[in-house]
Formats: sequence, C-alpha cells, structure tokens
Amino acid sequence: MAETSFWTGSPKYLCNKDLAQAFHMSRTLGMPLLIEGEPGTGKTELPIQYAEALGLELFVYPVGSKSNVEQFVGRFDHVKYLRDSQIEILNAQRSEKGLETKLSTGGRDTEKLETYVMKGPAARAFSTPNSVLLIDEIDKAPREFPNDLLYALSHRKFIMPESGEVVSVSEENMPAIVITSNREQELPTAFKGRCIYHYIHFPEADTMREIISKHHPKVEDEVVDVALDIFYHLRNIGLERAPTTREMLNWLKYVKTFSSKEAIDKIQKLEGIGVLIKTQTDLEKVQKKILSNPKDFKKRSTNN
Amino acid sequence: MLENLPHKFREYGLDADVRTLLVLRKAMQKGLVKTLGDLYNVLKGIVVKEPSMLGPYTRAYYQYFLNIDIQNGDRLDDAIERSETFQNWLEDVFEKDPKLRELDMEELVNMFLDQVHLTTYDIKEVISGKDIFDKDDPSLSDDDASSDLGPSKNVLDEMADYSDLSLEELLERMEEVLKNQKGKHTGGSHWIGTGGISPYGHGGAAKNGIRVGGTGGGKMARRVIGDRNYYPVDLDSLLNDNNVDAALASLNGIIEDSAHDKLDVENTIKKGLKRGGLFIPELQNIKEEKLQVMLLIDNGGYSMSGYIRIVQELFRKMKTRFAHDLKVFYFHNIIYDEIYTDAKRTKSMSIKRFLKHDPNYKVFIIGDAAMSPYELNKWSIETLQAMDKKFKNLVWLNPEPYRYWASTYSTQVIRKLVDMYQLTPRGIEKAVKDMNRKVI
Repeated sequence: MAETSFWTGSPKYLCNKDLAQAFHMSRTLGMPLLIEGEPGTGKTELPIQYAEALGLELFVYPVGSKSNVEQFVGRFDHVKYLRDSQIEILNAQRSEKGLETKLSTGGRDTEKLETYVMKGPAARAFSTPNSVLLIDEIDKAPREFPNDLLYALSHRKFIMPESGEVVSVSEENMPAIVITSNREQELPTAFKGRCIYHYIHFPEADTMREIISKHHPKVEDEVVDVALDIFYHLRNIGLERAPTTREMLNWLKYVKTFSSKEAIDKIQKLEGIGVLIKTQTDLEKVQKKILSNPKDFKKRSTNN
Repeated sequence: MLENLPHKFREYGLDADVRTLLVLRKAMQKGLVKTLGDLYNVLKGIVVKEPSMLGPYTRAYYQYFLNIDIQNGDRLDDAIERSETFQNWLEDVFEKDPKLRELDMEELVNMFLDQVHLTTYDIKEVISGKDIFDKDDPSLSDDDASSDLGPSKNVLDEMADYSDLSLEELLERMEEVLKNQKGKHTGGSHWIGTGGISPYGHGGAAKNGIRVGGTGGGKMARRVIGDRNYYPVDLDSLLNDNNVDAALASLNGIIEDSAHDKLDVENTIKKGLKRGGLFIPELQNIKEEKLQVMLLIDNGGYSMSGYIRIVQELFRKMKTRFAHDLKVFYFHNIIYDEIYTDAKRTKSMSIKRFLKHDPNYKVFIIGDAAMSPYELNKWSIETLQAMDKKFKNLVWLNPEPYRYWASTYSTQVIRKLVDMYQLTPRGIEKAVKDMNRKVI
C-alpha cells in the first residue's frame, strides 16, 4: 500500500500546510508533484526530508543540460557487453591453446541481456515499492526531456532498452514523485497537465522566523528581528536578484559567531552582505538606499 | 454534475477540460475532498499550472462555487461583503448566535473566510493537538454528540459525520447546491450553511469560539486577489516591464539544444589498437546548444525610442542567462547598403560584409516599418530580400499595433518581403515557433 499519510514536516523541515496538502494529494492520486518557486524556498528539501523522516528509499535524478531519458530510465551498457563477448572468444582461444588462466566477465552472462542494463533512478524507484523519486530542476533539461517522460508518467511503465524488460508499478506502490523547477524555461502544457502543481510562495516574516529557529535555534530573538527587518527590506527595494531563504540562513550563520550585541551591530552595518547580494548593480543600489541612511534602521529595530 | 466547470473556468483563462473533472472525481473517490477548503486546494493543484493563474483561479472558484463575483480591482473582502452568499451566511450565523452581531464586519469576513478555506487537515491538526478524539472510531462521534464533553468535541463530531459521506452523497449535495445557487432566493449560502459540505454545519465553531488550525487558505486567497504578481501577464500588450519575462520564456525556444551519445570512432580505434585489437566502443556525450542571434534595431526616429530600452533589456536578460552569441546592429527606418554597429550610428558595416555572417543566425529586425514611401527604393528592398534569402530565420518585430499595419504603405510592402510579427510576448512566441518550424 502506498504511503499516503498526511505528512507535515519534520523537526528539521518546516513544511507549509498548503505544500503538505498538495504533496499528500499527489501521493494519494499517484501523480507527480511539480513544485516551482523562487530558489532557496526548500523545493528540493521536501522529498529528501520526507524520505528521511519516514525511512523510505530515495532516488534522486539531478537534471542537467545533458540529461536524457536513457540516463533517467536505464541504458544498455554496450561497452561491457562487447568486452564480455570478446573475452569469451579470448577464453575459448586460450583453452584451445591449453592455457589455464581465463579472464573473468565478473559473473555476467552475455546470454542474459538484462545483466547489461544499467537501471536509472526512475527504473529503480519504480521497482522499489513506496520509494521517493526526486527529479531535481527539470527546467535545466533539454526541451524534449519532459515530453519523453510523459508516457512513463501516465502509464507507470518503463521498457528497458535491448532486454525489453518491462518495469512497471501498480498505482498502490507508486513512488512519491517530486519534480522541482526554477521556471527557467516553460514546461510543456501536456507535461504540466499530468502533475499536481504547487508554487511555493516566498515565506512571510513569521514563517521565516520559524525556519530560522529550526536551523539556528541559538540565535537570540533580537538578532533575528534586526536581520529579518533588513532582509525583507532588501527584498522590497526591487533588486535584480532578491536574497533568498538560503542566503538569509548563511548570513545568520556568519553573524552568530559573534555575541548578540556585536551581531546586531554587524547586521546594521550590513557586514557580510556579500552573502545576500550577488550582483554589482544590486550592491550599488543597496549602498545608495540603505547605507546612506542607516539611522532609519536603528530607529526601526529599537522600536521593535 | 459539475460538467460546466471546465467551460466556466475557461472563461477566466484557465486550462480546464474533461481531464480536470476526471482527476477531481478521482480525488473525491480517494477522500481528498471533504470540505470546501479541500475542494479549493485540490482544484488548485489540478487547474493552476503557474503562479500567474492563481488570481484568476481564485476568482473563478469564488464565482462558481460561492456565487461571489469579484470584479477587476476588487478586494476579496469587499466582494464578499457585497455578495448575497455572505448576507445569507450572516443571517444564518446570527440566528444561531446573536452575540456575533457585536463583531465588526472585518471579523465576520475573516470568520467566513476561515470557514470557506477550512480543510480536513486543519481539523486533523486539532484532533492530534488536543488529543481528544479517537480517530479510529468514527462511530463514537454519533453516540456521544449529545453528551457533556467539551465544546470543541462537538465540532469534531460533525467533522466525523462529513468524513463518512460517500462520494454519491457528496456529489448529490453539490449538485443540489449548484441548482440552488441559480435560484434567486436561496443564494449560495448553502455551501456554508447547514446544508453545505462545511464541517461546521450548525455553526459550531463560532459558538464555541474555537480556532481550528491555521487560516492559510483565506490569507492566500486574499493576497492573490488583485495582486499583480498573481495575474497572467497580458501576452497581447506591447512588450513592457511586466511581460518581458513572458517574452523571454518564449524566446528561449530559439535555443537549439539536444543531448545524445555518439560513437567516438577515432577514440575507439585508438584505444582498441592499444588493447591489441580488443575494440570497445567509446561513446561521446554530445551536447548541442546553439544560439546565434542578431538584433537589428531601428533606433532612428522618435517613434521607436520607447521600445529600444525594453527590447535591449529583453535580449540582455537572455544573454546573461545563456551567454551565447548575440550581435546587435542599428539602422534608421530601413537598411540600405550599410548597417551600424553602435547605437550612435557612427561606425558602419557594409551589407556585403554583413551578409557574410553564418546563415544559421536568427535575425530579429525590430522597427515600426513606418517610413516615407520614397525610402523604400531599389536598394532597401534588395537589401531586405538578400537578407531574407541568406538568413533562413529572419523576422521583423513591429511595435505598432496590428490594426495600423494595413494603413501604412511601407509596412504593407515590408510584410510582403519578410515575416512580420507584433512586438508582444505572443507575437514573439509565434515568431519563434515559425522559426523552429522552418528548420525542420
């Protein structure tokens, strides 16, 4: 029976209710969950933490610009196959000459084609009931990749190359499939139609506070207050590349090495801002808009 | 039952079809839809495929299921306050608990939203949080409903009742409600009132003053309505700061990329010989990604000045993302025998030289194509023809609204020579699609 209980996150991972519900829905319906959202909002973390919390096996396929369905599903290892068949000839010749030593094929049998099929994460996930399959950053893939997945996704079935072995999974044992995308390119409509879609909104201040407390429980509230204040201000002044959750956490990692008072001081002076701001034009903008009137910030943070 | 849902949702620009209904039906069979809030979330997962569809979806949902009409620029709160559905709901809750009359409108709207967006999961949270309900024994709820357990218990009992609803009952009830909505007097209040599928049924929550779970759904709906970020960009409006990203997305289509393995013959032979004749095929992972773009921008007259910045922004963004071969040239009105390589039009390049570029370049000419008839002479026409012949993928993007094209003589002539599209995200998308088709 598929794992379809409602999962709301773990001590390490704060799973927003909407996301939890969409994830639950996708597992119950046996459809993949397509998550989009700004970088650093925890898209990839969801399946990883879910698998860890429930002790399920996780298969990850990081998509890159060279990805193709062969890598994802399975490919026939022609090199090994050829090597082994040549070794067989060689061994036959050797025994003819009365030589004892033989080369080994590593227990593989050239008669059995399936031993030369290297199963990709998809085929392995489909043959492991109740596993979790993460297809990370599908928007990085060549255009044809999502379309090539359509068949497998709607039929829950893969056909292995050469051996013709069929890897299929019943709806009950369907792995939980999570696909993430940063929206760098539009995915085909037909592909989206076969997924449950969820867009992760950027967390608001109170959620962010909870996320921070999960990662840096020891940082004092005052420090977090000041940091959050600046963080959301930075996100609002229209930067080319707004800082994300991940960067906020890194920033706090840096300032938490100091005492609270020092830390607040450092935050207000925007020390280590390079963690948050990643382009030259943004940096100039920040300097113009924030560093030129730092009093504004002190006032606000003491009011809190 | 619900068969007109795809049709109605399509009116809001949403992708809804028979499959939407099939998936929704399956979700109901699997017990995912027990409250109105569940229905909102489940349908959202099926219908909404990008963030810009969230706003229209929320509007369509409120209109279809709650009979609440949200006008352009309306706030959700105002639309709710105005609606008959809400008025009926108010009557209902006031009748049950007159004390509620003391609340101000905002609180009442919040209550209403909480009920609309209440999901099964909110209730489960309370169950587990308060440890007062034995999940595994739904029959308990029926027997104990009248006993003297705490007030929060009652709410949960009712919830249990609704959980047991069979699909048929649920569908029946929904159908009834939809019918009632069309009648003038009943309004849409049934969805939330006693006859609806709301687990609150008899107004338990309000009476007992319990806040069940989070109110994320209501908050989200409120944020989504009227927020520009959650509306689809107008693909037919001229390129501007808001839709430049949509245009970028369609421009991505001009990148040709593919990944495949190829037998590396040379390496196979070389290594095979070293192995003493044991030839093992060496594979080469070939990744092809090609983007060669030339931009020819008319930065002459005043008529074009408004668009140049945005066009450059568009292609600059594309370049920073993909770091490919992008060349920009400038001209004034039309191209004769030379073209300029700088925006000030001081350094020129002869057309002869220009035509020596790789024919695989994709060429975008951006200009309004409006000029005096005499500017379209033998040279300019020949140049255009030569360029169109040389570059298989050459299009003209025109910022002028389409309806003016017919009345401009020069536009008419140029259109006959090269493919012309409007400088809108949709126009660019079309241009890119046609370009890709030509290659094949």
